[in-house]
Amino acid sequence: MSSDSKETAKTPMVYICGECHSENEIRPRDPIRCRECGYRIMYKKRTKRLIVFDAR
Amino acid sequence: MPIAQLASSEAKGETSKTFVFNNEGHTLGNALRCIISSYEDVQFCGYTVPHPAESKMHFRIQMHKGRAVDALKRGLQDLVKMCDHTIETFENEVTTFKNENHIAT
Amino acid sequence: MDQVNDENPRIILGEHKITRNLPTTETILDQTFNIKSFKKSLRIVIVRYTDTPLEMEFDIIGMHPFLANTFRRLMLSDVPSMAVEKVHVYNNTSIIQDEVLCHRLGLIPLRADPRMFDYRSNDSEGTEQDTLEFELKIKCTWNKDENKDSSRVDDMYKNNNVYSKHIKWLPIGNQSETYKPADVGPIDDDILIAKMRPGHELDLKLIAVKGIGRDHAKFSPVATAFYRLLPDIKLTREVEGEAAERLKKCFSPGVIGLRHKEGRTVAVVENSRYDSSSRNIFRHDDLKDAVIMTKIQDHFIFSIESVGAMPPDIIFTEAVKILRNKCVSLLEELEQV
Repeated sequence: MSSDSKETAKTPMVYICGECHSENEIRPRDPIRCRECGYRIMYKKRTKRLIVFDAR
Repeated sequence: MPIAQLASSEAKGETSKTFVFNNEGHTLGNALRCIISSYEDVQFCGYTVPHPAESKMHFRIQMHKGRAVDALKRGLQDLVKMCDHTIETFENEVTTFKNENHIAT
Repeated sequence: MDQVNDENPRIILGEHKITRNLPTTETILDQTFNIKSFKKSLRIVIVRYTDTPLEMEFDIIGMHPFLANTFRRLMLSDVPSMAVEKVHVYNNTSIIQDEVLCHRLGLIPLRADPRMFDYRSNDSEGTEQDTLEFELKIKCTWNKDENKDSSRVDDMYKNNNVYSKHIKWLPIGNQSETYKPADVGPIDDDILIAKMRPGHELDLKLIAVKGIGRDHAKFSPVATAFYRLLPDIKLTREVEGEAAERLKKCFSPGVIGLRHKEGRTVAVVENSRYDSSSRNIFRHDDLKDAVIMTKIQDHFIFSIESVGAMPPDIIFTEAVKILRNKCVSLLEELEQV
């Protein structure tokens, strides 16, 4: 768990701006702010991993 | 797989028994109950599903005379015969109906 | 009351109570079961069989009520059919949530004949004998070909509606030799699954298995399967004129007819079979003594509407076979005790 969180802390996460939909790379402790338009609401991208659901 | 097992053995011996059916419910329970309670030597016949989340059915037979297992066997055999006859009559009727009305199978 | 005291076991629907008639001989309802009398009394009459929708109606006469109910229950919850059980979501950027989308996909009826497949055990990988795989890969884009002025969604976008026809079958093993895509895929190709806008995308793999309605309603092979008792309506006295019109309106269309004789209009029972047994007649104080509403207790009108994977007559015989096989396997187990 701790090694996993360290690993993710180093790599930047890609977020999508809620206003202009551009992709922003944001590191921990970076300000949550879109580089393009300055909008402060960011959305996380969907995981690329496969998810299995029960069709129920 | 459904397993018919004996739940309680009591002083009465073979004449009264409760059977536990796994993975069965009201579908088989009520059909068996109706057919077995019509037999002459049966004093009491009833079934219950003790808990709806558990797929178990308790089946009780009390006899005036004779063995409870025999009544259960007779009930199952009679149900088989009823099914056989129903399938036979139904399939005959369907084939004649389809022939008369030119319906392809 | 002599009109209803015949040899048929009847229930009489009175205004405040339900009574039974008294047939002079034992009927199937109250005698000790024996197969001989069952064979003698059982009659089956096919009434209707239609292809679209796959529906049939038939009468079973002289059968015990418990058996009729057992068959109905078996058709609803014990006859198997194939349905999507697991969905692998690789991508879903549409606005419909993953779990809602997957639930919708599970409910799409599949044409695959469940008799050709085995039940899949819980931990197995899935083989050609017990699994069907489908793929739903679709992307919504702007439609550049159409004229720019149109503001209709169907002109502006491509693939903005995802339908069941977009589901593609992926054969496993030698399935492609045994089946054609139309034999296993969705029965209806116009079931709306999701709505999308440009940039939205679905990438799913659907895994269909065989199951029974007791586990989940999506596995039920019937849309409806029900039975009702044959209604029988008798008129005890002549009803004429305006009263006859009112009498006619109290019942379902076609049940009561009007005859003209010697300048009078007289009500007669034309066909009580399709009466819905409404109690409207008891609202008319002057008419309620003119009618006896009864139902024949050993005459069942079955109506089966198939979802489409199996024809209704096969569903019924499968249901009876399931009961038979249950009893046979239980008997075998009792022999071992």
